[in-house]
Amino acid sequence: MNCAELKELLVAYVEGLLEESQQQAVAEHLRGCRSCQAELKELADLHDRLVTNGKALAQSNLEKDVMNQVIREQNTRLKAAERTSVGGPRPTLQTRRTIMKSPITKIAAAAAIIIVAAIGINYIMAPSVTWAQVIEPILNAKTLIFDVIIGSDESGMTMHEIVVDSRIRRVMSNMPNMTMIIDLDNAKLLALDTEAKTAIYTDIEGDLGDRTRSYIKFVRQIIAQLQEGQVQDLGEQTIDGQKAIGFVGRGQNEEVTIWADPQTALPIRIEAKIGQEFSFIMKNFQFDAPVDESLISMDVPEGYTLQKTNIDLGNATEEDFVESLRIWAEIIGDGTFPQAIGPEHAMKVMPTLIQKLTAMQVTEEKGTQIGMGFGKGMLFHQILESQGQWKYAGAGVKLGDANTAIFWYQTKGSQIWRVIYGDLSVKDVAAENLPK
Amino acid sequence: MLEKDKFYVERCLDGHPDDYRYLVRRYQGVLLANLAGKLGSRDRAEEAAQEALVRAYFNMGKLKKPDSFFSWLLGIADNVAKEHQRKEQIQRQREIVRSSLQESAGTELSQDYALETAIAELPEAYKKVILLRYYGEHSCGQIAEQLDMPLGTVTKTLSRAYAMLRQSLRQQKQAEVYEV
Repeated sequence: MNCAELKELLVAYVEGLLEESQQQAVAEHLRGCRSCQAELKELADLHDRLVTNGKALAQSNLEKDVMNQVIREQNTRLKAAERTSVGGPRPTLQTRRTIMKSPITKIAAAAAIIIVAAIGINYIMAPSVTWAQVIEPILNAKTLIFDVIIGSDESGMTMHEIVVDSRIRRVMSNMPNMTMIIDLDNAKLLALDTEAKTAIYTDIEGDLGDRTRSYIKFVRQIIAQLQEGQVQDLGEQTIDGQKAIGFVGRGQNEEVTIWADPQTALPIRIEAKIGQEFSFIMKNFQFDAPVDESLISMDVPEGYTLQKTNIDLGNATEEDFVESLRIWAEIIGDGTFPQAIGPEHAMKVMPTLIQKLTAMQVTEEKGTQIGMGFGKGMLFHQILESQGQWKYAGAGVKLGDANTAIFWYQTKGSQIWRVIYGDLSVKDVAAENLPK
Repeated sequence: MLEKDKFYVERCLDGHPDDYRYLVRRYQGVLLANLAGKLGSRDRAEEAAQEALVRAYFNMGKLKKPDSFFSWLLGIADNVAKEHQRKEQIQRQREIVRSSLQESAGTELSQDYALETAIAELPEAYKKVILLRYYGEHSCGQIAEQLDMPLGTVTKTLSRAYAMLRQSLRQQKQAEVYEV
């Protein structure tokens, strides 16, 4: 092989595209030829430069911006198309059947907002605005789209929710591949992995309490309770870049702040704090945006494989909770209990759990079981938040430490406390003997 | 690599805008590399890439062959780049009139501007191969399939593209020397 022939092959050599025999011939020639070595060096440098630059650019994240713009513009176009639809030109993208037309009377979302608005009405109504005007758009809200941020500030994980009647479509910001569709009427959940194209049905029957299912319904409940409590006017402020009137309601165990548009009385932002640990913010409300029926369908979409699972998320028990603590310490925390527990923290570590399970190479079935078990135990804790009291002291404690209490709780009406230790044993303890 | 472009294009046309994100993921690097060289800054490239992607989505109905999404997208990006360049030219002229002394604002160059410029100047066929290989994480086999050519042709095109890039980078360096 001469130098000219070799130069033809060098790029393929750098790229590893040559057949074994050619590869060897090139290597052979290179050993004895300085000038070709220099040529190879230059090509390899350029190759590295391309790879480095390629990686840097591939890391950029246009996805969120592009998708936001696409969805926003799509909505605008749909609305425009509907206004001019009779005999007008068809929109470029098929709009298909939208939910807007269905005659729904019992609408969880709209009902919730009526109460939200009702509580604010005494404070918001300018003399020129009438009650009828205020509730008119709300009564007609057939679909509701909003974001829920878990946590008390904007840094938390966000869930994007689309609520239509008793169906919810939920996507979490830290697991963008997972889409959940929840059917409240039949207490069923359909989880879709849009990357792996797999689907799982789960029963969510039992005493979970409505808030684990629907944030909007939960807010409605709280506000219904708050009507007897104290509501305080917060006056006018700029919220999320627009003028808003706020008021805060405090109940025994919860506090809800609502910011609404002074013109329309529609909520802009709702902040809720429940118990000691659980806060969420709802914002970016869209009333009556058209929702494609397929988005909230409980059918397995075409091209997805249905996976069997027999985990029932209802009736979470102490045993489930202990199991989720074990998973948290053993799998997520490499043997140490976490700094804090609660839904906010649990949701934040979900991606870590998935990574660890993948690294452990558990079967898909086993992985699903562990993931669901973790979630189920956390539901028990969530119920305690509203129906009992609890304390977590496990930060940094090693799994197996039988002498250190990591968690104790008391359910409403009970005299005894249950104490969980670092080895995950559980004992009954009288109030006066609790760890300090 | 997951599904082919065609699959996602058809999903979008069938009313599943959510699935467009896979195409965005697949080609954002490619678009940025192509546009950074043309527009001279990362910020401008991002803006133009975003615009091209959104425009592509809303014009997907006009795409005749779903298989050729990539080439078509690249064409849209080139148009967007031309429009931006034109706008910038007008703006720059106005700025010059307003104050000839002020530095023009924020032209933050991307990390390897020289390389991106060299890529932007490649003839179309060579550019596509380089973009897909290094900015779109395609293997040579996948490029062959995507561009519908034999693997040997991909390798040859790649080899020639390397030679052109080296030539162009060398020239840029010389020009720099003279400028200093």
